[in-house]
Amino acid sequence: MSGSHGNHDPAAVRAAISEAILAAIPGAAVSVEGGGGHYAIEVVSEVFEGKGMLDSQRLVYGAIAPLLKGDDAPVHAVDTLRTRAR
Amino acid sequence: MAISEALAAHLHGLLSANRVVLFMKGTRLAPTCGFSSQVVNLLDRYLDDYATVDVVADPALREALREHSEWPTFPQLYVDGRFHGGAEIVAAMDESGELTALLGSGPRAPRPPAIRLDEAAAGAIADIGRTVPGAVVRLEISSGFHHELYFGDAQPDDVVAESRGVFVHMDAASARRAEGMSIARVEGAGGAGFRIDNPNEPARVKQLEPDALAALMRSERAPRLVDVRTPAEREIARLDGDEGLLDPALEHALLALDRATPLAFYCHHGVRSLRAAEHFRELGFREVYNLAGGIDAWSREVDPDLPRY
Repeated sequence: MSGSHGNHDPAAVRAAISEAILAAIPGAAVSVEGGGGHYAIEVVSEVFEGKGMLDSQRLVYGAIAPLLKGDDAPVHAVDTLRTRAR
Repeated sequence: MAISEALAAHLHGLLSANRVVLFMKGTRLAPTCGFSSQVVNLLDRYLDDYATVDVVADPALREALREHSEWPTFPQLYVDGRFHGGAEIVAAMDESGELTALLGSGPRAPRPPAIRLDEAAAGAIADIGRTVPGAVVRLEISSGFHHELYFGDAQPDDVVAESRGVFVHMDAASARRAEGMSIARVEGAGGAGFRIDNPNEPARVKQLEPDALAALMRSERAPRLVDVRTPAEREIARLDGDEGLLDPALEHALLALDRATPLAFYCHHGVRSLRAAEHFRELGFREVYNLAGGIDAWSREVDPDLPRY
């Protein structure tokens, strides 16, 4: 039957999201809020300069893709994702 | 994981046959996730025709799309074969006017659906209406096709359908789900009420009495029969010709089947199996049965030699 999303410690998941983004976008300012599978993420980095919303978000999604994979993924949904150049 | 050739061809076929494709959870009329519902509501304002694909019903395609779009979540909007974004981006494109340019037409007011009231229903609604001055009759149809008919305030964005002089107010999403529905007045032992028949309503799990399931199992359309009890219960009694216990391996095998394959579920009394049946129906199986009363009813009505517990 469907997996539950309540089996992951929210603080540990927030840290894992942060870490994954920083590994892909070094020097970014990352803030992560949420728990229970649902997270809100904000990333500020100059790599977004001149990039559209699709490409900017893709960069972040690419970094956290492993956390979103599978039926019992620690991250079920990213409710909001904001990317800013500064 | 690389996408298999067959999947790539399937995806290419979908994208070249339809200019606008929304890969979503659930269907256009019955979305099963808030983000998918949000994008459907937006697209419906712009377009009459576009394709939707339920990725929950097709796990392999869902994984393939994650790779292909380089985007891990759903819904995903494709226009002219290109990925354009998920719920948040589509909402931003609606705000900025980019969506009009992308789709080639702007947002329009929704068309009122054709609905039909029988004479008694129209009369009853008009009678009640006279007792609540200023109120209008409203119809709400949820994404799970739960219908509510009540008197309330008119809203500025209401879509208004008319039948036999009665004006029925709906929000845009309810209006799309109402096309072709009928409302009849019914009287029964418990008093009078309204019966709503909606042709858009997705198939429900069908409850089968033991003798009806036994007959179906002998027919050409015999469903795959699945036991959802515990191994200890199965030791005591089980039905002949079933697929075995619903463990992860069997669930995996069932999910690989064509969604037209009939499935039937049973447990001790028919409650646990109904939950399992609903689960598979939500995953896109169109013909799903539940053994009403469970194996216990089967022992009483079909096979007295089967031990009861």
